[in-house]
Amino acid sequence: MTSIRTRFYRDKVNGKFMGVCAGIADYTGIDVLWIRLTAVVLVFSTGIAIPAYFAIGFLAERKPPALYADAQEARFWQGVRQSPARTAREVRASFRDIDRRLAEVESFYVSSNPRLSAEIESLR
Amino acid sequence: MEEGILVLIPITAILGIFVGLPWIVLHYITRWKTASSLTTGDEALLDELYQLARRLEARMDTVERLVVADHPQFQPARMTSNLADEKDKLRELDRMLAAKGEQSQ
Repeated sequence: MTSIRTRFYRDKVNGKFMGVCAGIADYTGIDVLWIRLTAVVLVFSTGIAIPAYFAIGFLAERKPPALYADAQEARFWQGVRQSPARTAREVRASFRDIDRRLAEVESFYVSSNPRLSAEIESLR
Repeated sequence: MEEGILVLIPITAILGIFVGLPWIVLHYITRWKTASSLTTGDEALLDELYQLARRLEARMDTVERLVVADHPQFQPARMTSNLADEKDKLRELDRMLAAKGEQSQ
């Protein structure tokens, strides 16, 4: 049982014929044009390209329609497929970012104490 | 001498095709498998952390906006400076730190 987001799918919706090239583009994050050009070059230079295309086309599953909520999430999982360690670091970085921002708000409230000065102002 | 070379060429070619080529292919397949193996549990965890980070970021935006609305003297760095630029720099620093950590291990 492999996981649903890091498995290879063929992308029939965005594909030209069976969606294998579009699937490779979706998996790797490389532009689909380069994949198709490479495929065409392989078809003319080697004999294995066409059988391989059909093998992948019949063996790979079609991409489920609602796999990712938005484009940002799709990009995130593309990054995971390329390098899980790097994306884990990125997630950690965004947590640190939130921590920094929260600390900024906290230090503002602690150092300037606007509520206290507002209270004093109202007592005058 | 000439015949020896003529015999050597097919032997190296056959060895190259039937031993060298599969060797290289299998070597990279195993490396790729070990490098990017992510179990279902890891994937679920990463998904949860990613969603959590996004939610927290959205909440932090709201909180900052609320604080700024109440106290205009509060100037969070994110709202005044170029957001994406700063984030990229921090990512870069993070990547460099990670690379350094890997080297020292």
